[in-house]
Amino acid sequence: MEYSPGPILSNLAKALEKQYRPHEAELLWKVAGYFDDALPAPEFTDFTSLVKMLTANEAEYLEPIRQAAASTEAKAADRGALRAATWGGKVNAIQKSLADRYAKKGDELVEGKKLFVCEACGFMFLGDQAPDICPVCKAPALRFATVA
Amino acid sequence: MHAVRNLRLCTKDCVCLFVCPTGATDTETGQIDFEKCLDGCRRCVDACPSHAISLVMDNYPARPAKDKAVADALLNFMEQKHREEALAKALAASASTPARAKVAKALAASLRILAEDGAREAGYMIPQSTESKAFLEKLLAQRPSVAGKQFPEAELKELLSLL
Ligand code: SF4
Ligand code: SF4
Ligand SMILES: [Fe+2]
Repeated sequence: MEYSPGPILSNLAKALEKQYRPHEAELLWKVAGYFDDALPAPEFTDFTSLVKMLTANEAEYLEPIRQAAASTEAKAADRGALRAATWGGKVNAIQKSLADRYAKKGDELVEGKKLFVCEACGFMFLGDQAPDICPVCKAPALRFATVA
Repeated sequence: MHAVRNLRLCTKDCVCLFVCPTGATDTETGQIDFEKCLDGCRRCVDACPSHAISLVMDNYPARPAKDKAVADALLNFMEQKHREEALAKALAASASTPARAKVAKALAASLRILAEDGAREAGYMIPQSTESKAFLEKLLAQRPSVAGKQFPEAELKELLSLL
C-alpha cells in the first residue's frame, strides 16, 4: 500500500461510530487493529529524535498543505485542508514543546500531574484537570482523554 | 434518513415516546428501532427537550473529488504523523519510568489524532464513499502482511457487504 492503512482505517471506524453503526464500527476496528505496529520499528528511540521530527514538520509537511490548498485563479481554496493545517500546526507545536521540555527536564516535568489529550483535535495539556474549553478547537472538557 | 438517540444527552423526558407515530422510540435497548422509523419524519428530533435525537442518512452523498495535490500533501502529513506515533509507541514500550511512559503514550494518542485528521481531509471521511470503499477493496485484494498476525479477511468482507 502506498500509505499506511492504520490511521485511514481508525478514522473511518470513528466515522461509523458517529453514524450509530456499532457492528460495522467493530468490524472496522478489527481491521484497523491489524495494522497497529505495522510500521517497522524506528531506528532511534529517544525523545530527541522525536523533537527533531516534530521541528521539521512545519516546513516539510504543513506548509505544502497550505500551498496546495490555497485559492488560485483556477480553483477555490480547500477550506477543510486549510483548517487541518491550522489546527495541525498548533497541535504539532504543542507536541514539540512537550517532547522538548520532557527531553530536557525528564520525569520531574510531569510528576504529580496528568496529561490530557483533546480527542477532537489532539491538543495536549499538562495539569491537574482538563481545560474547560480546548484552546485549539473549542471542544468542551468532556472531550479530553486523561493519561494518568 | 432515520432517527438516532445520543444516550449521553438523553434525560429521559420521554416526549419522543408520545410524538412517534410508529412506536420506534419505545425500545428496551435505549436506541431507536431503525426498522420502525419513518424515513425523514423527524417528529422526535424536534420534540426532544434535550436535543438528544438527530437524523442520520441511510445513503451518504458523494463528496466532491479532492484535488490530487491537496490530497497528496495531506496523506504525506498523515504518514509522517504516523511514523512519529510509531516512535512514541516504541518510547512508551521501552520507558524506564511510569512518567516517561505517560508522556510517550499521550504523545502517541495525540499524534494518531493528527494522522487521522490528515486521512479525513484527504478524502477518507465517509466510510460509504467511493474512495473509502475502493481503499477497502484494495486492502482485501492486496492483503498486506503484518508479522505474526492473521489478515482479518472475514471482517473486511462482511464490512464491505454492509457498507
Ligand atoms: S424526548 Fe429526548 S430526553 Fe426524552 S426520552 Fe426521548 S430522547 Fe430522551
Ligand atoms: S423520526 Fe418519526 S418515526 Fe422515526 S423515531 Fe422519530 S418520531 Fe418515530
Ligand atoms: Fe481540541
